[in-house]
Amino acid sequence: MEFEGPAQSFVDEIIIAENVHKWFGEFEALRGVSLRVKPGEVIVILGPSGSGKSTFIRCLNRLEEHQEGRIIMDGIELSHDIRNIQEVRREVGMVFQQFNLFPHLTVLDNITLAPINVRKWTRDHAEEIAMKWLTRVGIPEQAGKYPGQLSGGQQQRVAIARTLSMQPKILLFDEPTSALDPEMIKEVLDVMRDLAKSGYTILAVTHEMGFAREVADRIIFMDAGKIVEVNTPEEFYNNPKEERTKLFLNQILQH
Amino acid sequence: MTQTPAAPSPEPQAMPLWRRLLGYIFDVRVLGVLGQIGFILLVVFAVRSISSNFADNAQRLGESQFICRDGSFSYRCAYDFMESESGFDISDTMIDHTNTDPYWRTFYVGVLNTLKVAIFGVILTTLLGTVMGVARLSDNWLISKIALWYVELMRNTPLLIQIFFIYFGVILTAPELNEALQPLGLPLFISRRGLNFPSLQFTSSSAIWIAFLVLGIIQIQVTSVILGRREERTGQPSNRLQTGLIAFMLIAGLGWFVSSAVSDSQGLLVTKASRIRELGDMDKLMLQRTGANHLDDLAAFSEEELDAAAFQICALDDSSSETNLTRQLRKMDIPYRIRRYEVPDKAADNYASGKCEMFVASKTILAAERSTLESPSSHLIISVKEAPIVWSLPAREGLNLVGGGRMRPEFVALLLALVLFYGSNLAEIVRAGILAISKGQNEAARALGLTEGQRLQLIVLPQALRVIIPPGIGVALSLAKDTSLGIAIGFPDMYAVSYTTMNQSGRVLQLFVLIMLMYMLISLAFSVLLNWYNEKIKLVER
Ligand SMILES: Nc1ncnc2c1ncn2[C@@H]1O[C@H](COP(=O)(O)OP(=O)(O)OP(=O)(O)O)[C@@H](O)[C@H]1O
Ligand SMILES: [Mg+2]
Repeated sequence: MEFEGPAQSFVDEIIIAENVHKWFGEFEALRGVSLRVKPGEVIVILGPSGSGKSTFIRCLNRLEEHQEGRIIMDGIELSHDIRNIQEVRREVGMVFQQFNLFPHLTVLDNITLAPINVRKWTRDHAEEIAMKWLTRVGIPEQAGKYPGQLSGGQQQRVAIARTLSMQPKILLFDEPTSALDPEMIKEVLDVMRDLAKSGYTILAVTHEMGFAREVADRIIFMDAGKIVEVNTPEEFYNNPKEERTKLFLNQILQH
Repeated sequence: MTQTPAAPSPEPQAMPLWRRLLGYIFDVRVLGVLGQIGFILLVVFAVRSISSNFADNAQRLGESQFICRDGSFSYRCAYDFMESESGFDISDTMIDHTNTDPYWRTFYVGVLNTLKVAIFGVILTTLLGTVMGVARLSDNWLISKIALWYVELMRNTPLLIQIFFIYFGVILTAPELNEALQPLGLPLFISRRGLNFPSLQFTSSSAIWIAFLVLGIIQIQVTSVILGRREERTGQPSNRLQTGLIAFMLIAGLGWFVSSAVSDSQGLLVTKASRIRELGDMDKLMLQRTGANHLDDLAAFSEEELDAAAFQICALDDSSSETNLTRQLRKMDIPYRIRRYEVPDKAADNYASGKCEMFVASKTILAAERSTLESPSSHLIISVKEAPIVWSLPAREGLNLVGGGRMRPEFVALLLALVLFYGSNLAEIVRAGILAISKGQNEAARALGLTEGQRLQLIVLPQALRVIIPPGIGVALSLAKDTSLGIAIGFPDMYAVSYTTMNQSGRVLQLFVLIMLMYMLISLAFSVLLNWYNEKIKLVER
């Protein structure tokens, strides 16, 4: 199964985050995060609970607002300008741990909702594209069902199809397999693996080591609101540079 | 613990009888049956004591309650008295009603009034409640605080007090009719006599126009079928709905002209001496009278001069022929003064005595009145064309307001109080419904690039509705039943009318049974409708 790739990007660095700070009231969740990502790069973010992984990727499509520093996505800077925010959200897709499918809409309507209302496609065109993506994630026969009638793995694959139908260039995954039973994790990872290979720029928070080793170009390790280490998967798992990373790997590899 | 089947369990034998009995009693199946038997006994007992009480009372009230028309007594004649003359007037009626009508018609007027308040009330409450519920969650500090204060104020004071306050404290302190407030210069007048507003008036030719509209609707169906067939044959897509709608508008427009042109039922009675032969002659005549070269020049005339020159017209109260004629005169800039009479004879008398030089009404009325004049042949009836629907705008005329529709102050006060009160209840339900939508739903909508309006409309409200509808049905039902509070300020709803009927006829039992049945019917109709909707939008779960 080979996926069609994303639209081409005309910038050298599709994600630029410079010295990003984020406070929740008094609490500083991001303490100066900087990252540059080239189009087509696949990056896996790791770190202990509460280290700011989710907060960081949620800043990248303005689900959270950063207070200091700059974020430039595919050449568009995220500011208070609502037009910029809407434009970035059209280019950046996000897949959530809890799927967040719309329970009152059928699978097909979940997927066509944004293309019809945001991209202003006709229903026919949107449905054609939606069926294409449903076929690619392997569940075209579920199009008429409601999310509540699907298994967790199927729901997450619908969520991925919903994100892809907007034709984003960048995909953000926030622990997409954490809410799934073990036998369903594989079906979702297979889809993600194929997306990674077909040229999408991906930022994924995931603890799936196999996925990280196979497709990640870089692994980023975060702790206490900072990026502690950036490394290739090979080096990261076998030969980490930082003490903090070693401690973390010891903990997760013990299981 | 393992047990071989062969091993006799010694326990049951050893258990004393009372413990075994307790074991039976606490068996959920037994408990369920016992509970149902107990409940049935309770219901039987309650019904028995109420009905024997009822029978006692009926006995005490005597047979006179159940007199039949032939003078005999029978329970079957319990409602015969409703056919006798009611003898009282009702201030606010949607249908014609006089004090010589039977009690049934009086009751019917009351039911219509109750329905009027209930239906308008539910519609307006839905709007207000939704807006206020959304406003309470607004990021805008001022908006959310206003909504909060509204909800707290309305929810924490009794409805009856609010009705009194709005009626006596707000509406009855409004200016008199001759000084009615006109907000923003709109054709709306607020006074202590109620609210006067623009209304649509159907004329004698509207039936023809409506026939055209029906034709247009049938045409949409036919067009859709024909185009659908052609689509299948040729594979060429066509915009069926658009074609149908355009054709519909053409038909409706054609119908408007046709019905205006063929309308021939309205007329204007004039003397032959007036030299008016058709409506178009009136402007020439006006120019002669005033000596002006052009009707536009009349703008420079003083009020007295215009009064002297204006056409004096007699008309019937609330007649569409009058609305229609004056509208055409205003269009032609012809000054006129109008007198209105309740009955045609009065108008005809004044026409005969020369108080007015023309009399506008339907041709049949005019023909009848003309024959009563001294020399019918010296009078002419000329045709007045009319559009199928005319706007009737309220306007000042002397100390009075004429034209348009009017809501009485009691109706306005009751409706306003019910909507404000139940709107605050609904606002809280709407707020809870919106808050029940998880954060994730909103985030997914935003991440997909939906605008805030789209998020609210496509994701939040459809899901919130499922939480809102069941308690919302309760609000609608309470509102429908609380229309009976209208009696406190003299709004003639079903209960108020029945109350007067009770006092006059002494038939208390019959009327209460009737009232309760009607309220039950209204409530059932509401809840059937809303439950059907609720069923339709239920979530499909695994
Ligand atoms: N809305 C919020 N309000 C206040 N504090 C928050 C909020 N969201 C996150 N935080 C705090 O910010 C810190 C970083 O949270 P974040 O969710 O980014 O961690 P994470 O790395 O994704 O952790 P996990 O692996 O458990 O998902 C945590 O200490 C969290 O308590
Ligand atoms: Mg997280």
